Amino acid sequence: MDSQPNISRFAACLQVFRLTLRRQFFSRQTIVIAVLLLLALAISVVWAVPKPWNPEPRTGEQLAEQILSPLFMGFLLPLISLGYASSTISGERTGQTLVYLLSTSIPRPQIYLSQFAAVLLLTMGITLGCLSMMCVTVGMDGLAVLRAFAPVVTLATVCYVALFLLFSAWLRRATFLALAYALMVETLTANIPGVVKRITVSFYANSWLYDDSSLGLNPNIPAYDPVSGGTAIGVLIMASLGFLALGMWFFSRKEYE
Amino acid sequence: MTIEGTTTTAARPILEVENVSKWFGPLMALNDISLEIGPGITGLIGPNGAGKTTLLKLLTGQSKPNLGGVQIYGHDAWLAKAKAHVGFCPYGDATWDELSGRKLVAVTAGLHGFTGDEAKRRTEAVLETVGMADRAERPVRTYSKGMRQRIKLGQALIHDPDLLVLDEPLNGVDPVGREELNELFLLLAKAGKAVLISSHILNEMDELANHILFVCRGKLLASGSLETIREVLDDYPLKVRVSCESPRQFAPQLMALESVKSVSVEPPEDLFLEVQNPNRFYAEFGEFATTHDIGLNRLKATDTSAEAVFDYLMERAARPE
Repeated sequence: MDSQPNISRFAACLQVFRLTLRRQFFSRQTIVIAVLLLLALAISVVWAVPKPWNPEPRTGEQLAEQILSPLFMGFLLPLISLGYASSTISGERTGQTLVYLLSTSIPRPQIYLSQFAAVLLLTMGITLGCLSMMCVTVGMDGLAVLRAFAPVVTLATVCYVALFLLFSAWLRRATFLALAYALMVETLTANIPGVVKRITVSFYANSWLYDDSSLGLNPNIPAYDPVSGGTAIGVLIMASLGFLALGMWFFSRKEYE
Repeated sequence: MTIEGTTTTAARPILEVENVSKWFGPLMALNDISLEIGPGITGLIGPNGAGKTTLLKLLTGQSKPNLGGVQIYGHDAWLAKAKAHVGFCPYGDATWDELSGRKLVAVTAGLHGFTGDEAKRRTEAVLETVGMADRAERPVRTYSKGMRQRIKLGQALIHDPDLLVLDEPLNGVDPVGREELNELFLLLAKAGKAVLISSHILNEMDELANHILFVCRGKLLASGSLETIREVLDDYPLKVRVSCESPRQFAPQLMALESVKSVSVEPPEDLFLEVQNPNRFYAEFGEFATTHDIGLNRLKATDTSAEAVFDYLMERAARPE
């Protein structure tokens, strides 16, 4: 090992990215998420098939209101995001393999960013793929719904992944906290009247959807009081950047056992 | 009370630890430790719970001291710049064991920023060095404990670090494997690397390390070569076993030597001596043996092993000041 070494910081980060992608994809989370997605798809197909008592084909608006908004946005999206993001760092910790990443000469913020990029790519692929398949169940009408939902899902995924990766950097058993957060805060709090729901990601994602007149979606809760689409986008971007920066800061300072 | 022998070899220290203390809540894990490590093999010895792993984590930048500082070539050990000079083989056998041995080492090469042919060359060279080249296609999860230790050592060596930190590297390795790995450590030391080996098996270090750090209850009890530390322990007479032809005849004459504190006969042909000043004793005994035809078969100090020295240090540390 005496020749001049060809060391690249970018290549090192790319290796963290590839390793994280591989380890997350070939994991138990993927099996659980695949089962959930299959169930969701089955529900969508059964829902979309014309029934004897309702022979009219389902419309895109109905899909958005009855399936995508409650099932996909309110349940699947946070669950898929937490499945991968919350186990990324905490999984390496419990498996006692985080030390191998932290022993390299890659600065910790760059390790964190590489892991974030890997988890985001994986989660984004699955959420957008799932969304596309669910939209297809209503035929061509679903394409307009996909066009409306895709940017919202994209930004909400970024925000959820940044948040749950922060949990992962913080706690050894981050998945439990993330699950509790997704079920208690994102699902329950987001659906009660009042201002408390403004701390949730789903509130801003839903506000963005309600602002899109092409979908004709309306809140089914009294006094929901959504913010404008522009505000929702701004908050989601700022929250994503904030969670990411906080996660990087936390990860670069924390001493992991 | 810290006993200091020769703290480093003559070369510039790679690692410097200055007045480091580390605590976890009310538990003082390390208490005001200072040391330097240069090229050669340094053994970090202490019982379980002595603070060895905490110290290694500080040295490899996995954690930060509450007081004091750890520097590698002048860089804070916590920083990425310092880590480029350190190879760390942590305790336990956890690794990314779904990968094959070859892939694992190649991934580690990638994590250190090596690409293409350089990464491949390093991977093959390291697998050859740790004796895993012919078994590297199997997934790591199918490896024995000894094979895991070797592959982890390969991970630590991939970037050719100047300081190699090994936490119980011989744990689970069979005797033949131990000998091979010890030879590898000696080769690395010969090549100018600093190899720090932590172990709670004291006799492991007798032959291997040229510099020993004795740690107990978070304190550095002593540092230096075993011989130097043993010599400094002047309140514990050196125990020497002499095998000769007529032990009873020579016992009174040996007792007359100034450096000999006591002599006892252990039949059939052994004399057991307690010696106050080892250097003086060896000079006196040499003269005695040449002037008297004692038929000397063997002369051996029985308490210069790491284990014996550590026992004395522990006893000394337990004594009230």
